[in-house]
Amino acid sequence: MNAVARYFRNIGDAVATTLTGMRITLRYWVKEPAITVEYPDRLGAGRTARDLVAERFRGFLQVRLNSCIGCLQCMRTCPINCIRIVVDKRPEGRMLSRFDVNQAKCMYCGLCVEVCPTEAIVFTKRFEGACYDIRDLRVRHVTSPVPVAQLQRKEQP
Amino acid sequence: MLYIMYSAANTLYGILKDHLGAVGVPDAAITIAAYAVPCFVVLGLTSMIAGMLTYLERKISADIQNRVGPNRVGPWGLLQFPADGIKLLLKEDIIPDAADKKLFKLAPYLVYSSTVLASLVIPFGGSFIVADLNIGLIFIIVVSSLLVVGFLMSGWASNNKWALLGGIRSAAQIISYEIPTALTLLTVVLIAGTFSMQEIVMAQGPWPWQWFVFHNPFTVVAFIIFFVSSLAEMNRTPFDFPEAESELVSGYNVEYSGMRFALFFAAEFSSIFITASLAAAVFLGGGNIGRDPYASGIGWQLVMVGVFFAKTVPLCLVTIWVRWTLPRLRIDQMMAMCWKYFIPISFACLVSTAVWMLAFDGNGIFWRMPKP
Repeated sequence: MNAVARYFRNIGDAVATTLTGMRITLRYWVKEPAITVEYPDRLGAGRTARDLVAERFRGFLQVRLNSCIGCLQCMRTCPINCIRIVVDKRPEGRMLSRFDVNQAKCMYCGLCVEVCPTEAIVFTKRFEGACYDIRDLRVRHVTSPVPVAQLQRKEQP
Repeated sequence: MLYIMYSAANTLYGILKDHLGAVGVPDAAITIAAYAVPCFVVLGLTSMIAGMLTYLERKISADIQNRVGPNRVGPWGLLQFPADGIKLLLKEDIIPDAADKKLFKLAPYLVYSSTVLASLVIPFGGSFIVADLNIGLIFIIVVSSLLVVGFLMSGWASNNKWALLGGIRSAAQIISYEIPTALTLLTVVLIAGTFSMQEIVMAQGPWPWQWFVFHNPFTVVAFIIFFVSSLAEMNRTPFDFPEAESELVSGYNVEYSGMRFALFFAAEFSSIFITASLAAAVFLGGGNIGRDPYASGIGWQLVMVGVFFAKTVPLCLVTIWVRWTLPRLRIDQMMAMCWKYFIPISFACLVSTAVWMLAFDGNGIFWRMPKP
């Protein structure tokens, strides 16, 4: 008798669990909207690729030349030497004649950003680095020599 | 009514005989043409429907999984399936060196022909049926066994362990599940007293209580068993053991590429449609709107076709819906389900229906046996 009862309970269980599952999928089918982000071209009105990424995202490096003091700390701290800076001493003072960041090599560790005393090198939200030539990813931040920023004396209390 | 076999082929034969027979075209040629033309029409129709079902399958699975689905080719991605077909046509046709070349080439056609042959006796509503055989239902059961031969052949000829395992599994599965399918169809044959598909449809009525599914309580059970076991027979999840992507990579069709693979794929999806239309015709009244299909005008016949598709398409959708709900069973569970549950229950349904027919003089709960 026990086996017979189990036989019919199995049938009942199979039907009940199937219906439960089908009710759940029906709800998702009919009600729940898609959560897909159609990345490059259908992001919705007014949204761009940069709106997709989180706050403090580690994207391409950006250099603010008006606050760079030419201390070369970022170049020294970079574990893979993807930053190359040339500072010339000229009669009118120290000049930045080169500030290259090789984004193809960069591993986005953020050491240069942390070490910079004047927050001259920062992360941006740009992440789309696709290009036809890997040399295009060597970003030249200095096109013509610019004077380095002067250290500012702290306000005396 | 018994010996009158109306069909599209007969009608076409009559038309051709009137026009071409007068010019002296031999009778054999007219007969072949009268049967070949509807066959090709149905072949094209089932292939188109199979293509649309792949689109529906992808769209519905996407909806169920909170995705978007195909939406790039054409409006709402509607042109996705022609694009897929063209892509598969352009693919390289690879035949493995170690394969049995002849069997390897033959297998997809066998699989595809089994589903297309079944579609020849499907009444699409009105007088639209290629051949109203007086053994139509048996014909469907027989040609669906051809599927096993094709699967085993492709699995063996591929010379690949996954493909062979898939073929063997399909043999075990399809042969097992043919028994409950045939038994549940036999319950309807008991009521209707005929194997002809068109006569089964005409024996039912336009309203739900006149359908054979609600003839008596046992036919309801028989309908459910028929639907589930035909899921198994066409290798749909939760019974997709011959394919079993996660275990057998892709099962019997691993080694196939290009158009040969597309034939397997089209066969799978057109068999969804064939099964749904079989269920609609046999259990749900098909395209019956309470009028004689051969005496009605073309307008009413098109309404019948509409009614038929209004019953078939929801059944196709349920098939797809089940696939994206249930995971694959274990293979011993699948066999236990067939031999321990479906076959005894469907046999009980058959016998109970027979007893019901004896007890109530052939009448159902609402359905009445027509007076001779």
